[in-house]
Amino acid sequence: MHVLLVEDDKALHQEMRQFLLQAQYLVDSAHTYAEASEKLFVNSYDFVLLDLGLPGGDGLDLLREARQNDQQEASFIVLTARGALDDRIKGLDLGADDYLPKPVSLLELTSRMQAITRRKFGLKRPEITFADGFAMDPTARTIRHQGHDVPLTKKEFDLLHYLVLHRGRVLTRLQLGEHLWGNVLEDDSDSNYIDVHIKNVRKKLAHFSPTEFIETVRGIGYRAASFNI
Amino acid sequence: MRFEAKLALSNALTKLLLVLLGALVIPPVVQRVAVEHTDQRLREKKREVLALVRRDGLAAFVREERSETYADYNLLKQEYLSITPLAAGTPPGAVRFFEEPRQVDQEVEDFRILSCVVPAEAGAGRPFRLEIGSSLGTVELLTATLRRLALWVLVAASLLTVVADAGFAHYLLRPLRTLSTRKLRGISHPSEFWFERIPTHTTDFRRLDDGLNALMRQLQSAFEKEREFMSNVSHELLTPVSILQSRFENMLQDPSLPEVQAAQIVESQRTLHRLRNTVRTLLLIANIENEQYLRDAAVPLAPTLADVLEELDDRRQQRDITVAVALHPDYVLPLANASLLHTLLRNLLSNAIKYNREGGHIAVTGRPTPAGGYQLRVQDTGPGIAPANLPLLFDRFRRFHATGPAAPEGYGLGLPIAQTIAAFHGARLWAESEPGQGSTFVLEFGAAAGPGKRST
Repeated sequence: MHVLLVEDDKALHQEMRQFLLQAQYLVDSAHTYAEASEKLFVNSYDFVLLDLGLPGGDGLDLLREARQNDQQEASFIVLTARGALDDRIKGLDLGADDYLPKPVSLLELTSRMQAITRRKFGLKRPEITFADGFAMDPTARTIRHQGHDVPLTKKEFDLLHYLVLHRGRVLTRLQLGEHLWGNVLEDDSDSNYIDVHIKNVRKKLAHFSPTEFIETVRGIGYRAASFNI
Repeated sequence: MRFEAKLALSNALTKLLLVLLGALVIPPVVQRVAVEHTDQRLREKKREVLALVRRDGLAAFVREERSETYADYNLLKQEYLSITPLAAGTPPGAVRFFEEPRQVDQEVEDFRILSCVVPAEAGAGRPFRLEIGSSLGTVELLTATLRRLALWVLVAASLLTVVADAGFAHYLLRPLRTLSTRKLRGISHPSEFWFERIPTHTTDFRRLDDGLNALMRQLQSAFEKEREFMSNVSHELLTPVSILQSRFENMLQDPSLPEVQAAQIVESQRTLHRLRNTVRTLLLIANIENEQYLRDAAVPLAPTLADVLEELDDRRQQRDITVAVALHPDYVLPLANASLLHTLLRNLLSNAIKYNREGGHIAVTGRPTPAGGYQLRVQDTGPGIAPANLPLLFDRFRRFHATGPAAPEGYGLGLPIAQTIAAFHGARLWAESEPGQGSTFVLEFGAAAGPGKRST
């Protein structure tokens, strides 16, 4: 996957780049409007991560420009700190594939990228099997174990799905909470709810097969055991 | 009532008054004119008769030796003339006009009469009394016709001017109408301002339009500046937070990270999260207060509440809390921001879950107020809030411990946001509580004030 990262802040750019490289993406960088415009014209990308406030121009113009170029088939994810404009940007028909307000959780970002990829290539029934006989269908939102449905609530499914997507990675309660409840303004004491959800998911999985699939990482959070699809 | 309608009404009223005044004044005036006219004619007749007497002598009318009256009527008895010889030496008198009934043949008729005593002089040996009468019936007929004619003319003229005035006012006030419909009505956001100059030759409207445009430009520019400022502040504050957040995420992925450092990073992450939420809360409140959000959708409470409850379902069930919603009836905010309203209800309900006791209950009730507004009450069965703390609840960023040592913190962020959103929708938000009895948060949408009211 070839990604163009358009972000003018050097430090943030560096952190995002490192994260994406670790996640096995090919990362190309642009720090200004002109640089991004040129790279978009010359290269073809799978993803463009676009910051809106760029030196030399507005990211939205860049998006418009790229959308007029038939050669460019990249999916755009707009990243912005323009809190005040949230409503308006969402309301505009920008042709962006997704929109994330800053500060962006990098885990959330990569999940969205995976979701877009799935949507784009129309992967049929991308069933994920994990932990000795469990099969997860993210489209139908079901988990089965040897033909039997594992009855998870909506939030429990989301939580497990997120862990599975980021298998082998430690996820903090904050990150999990933000994924479950979105970007709402809340106090971190709410992350206690995560523990209860994890406990319930474990109990339900254990009912079908004794597994240590979700590991507690002391002091940090939770991690799903690594596996290959 | 519209200006134009008022103008037309006052116009019609003055014209009506004019007609009434005419109806009152015209008859006596016409009467008087008619009488003057008759008298004038009688005087002329008198002159003619005297000229005849002077030329032909009195004997031509009355025989000298007999003192009988000469009388002559015209055919239709509209006028008559009588000459009555008088004894010599009768003093002459002034010409008198009076009205009296006179018998002519068998009929009695009212006459306007000129009567005078003509002294003896050349041509007439004796003095005589001359009377010339004009039938009042004729005069009356004339005045009636005149009266009717005058009134009709007056009414017709009034009607004509009323219509003409209304038409002219309509034409004249067109710029004002355009101004009101295109520039003022239905404007809910500075970005919707319409700056085109209104075509008019009226100086007052020109000034009004220019003044309004200038004011709107000022407002729009202030609004834009505010937004730009907020956007810059957001950017300046949130970018460093973004950097740190990403860096922490990267650090946590390092498999060689010792456990102690990992825990410290998670702790730093939480602190950063709090900082981020504080910044975002401040920005949200500032943006709402600076009217950077649209208020343009009709939002019903019941579905919004249902959405919020579904979102919080897991938390509620985790704490075994039951909820009952009873809106009698549902209420639709005519001009609202759906996502802000969602946030407002979410904050109230999330608090009601958080500050409830395990296995407690939440009652959400809604009903119209006698004043024509609507009241939504969210009641929990938690430990309640001490009376001393009630007024502090909505203070921005004030944290205090609810009664009971195990009570979680966090009243700090949700309620100030909730109150700002309530105010944005013209609603009031307050808390009622007695320690040990639970708390009730009351949201009252006003009927009288604020943008929440139904525009007529």
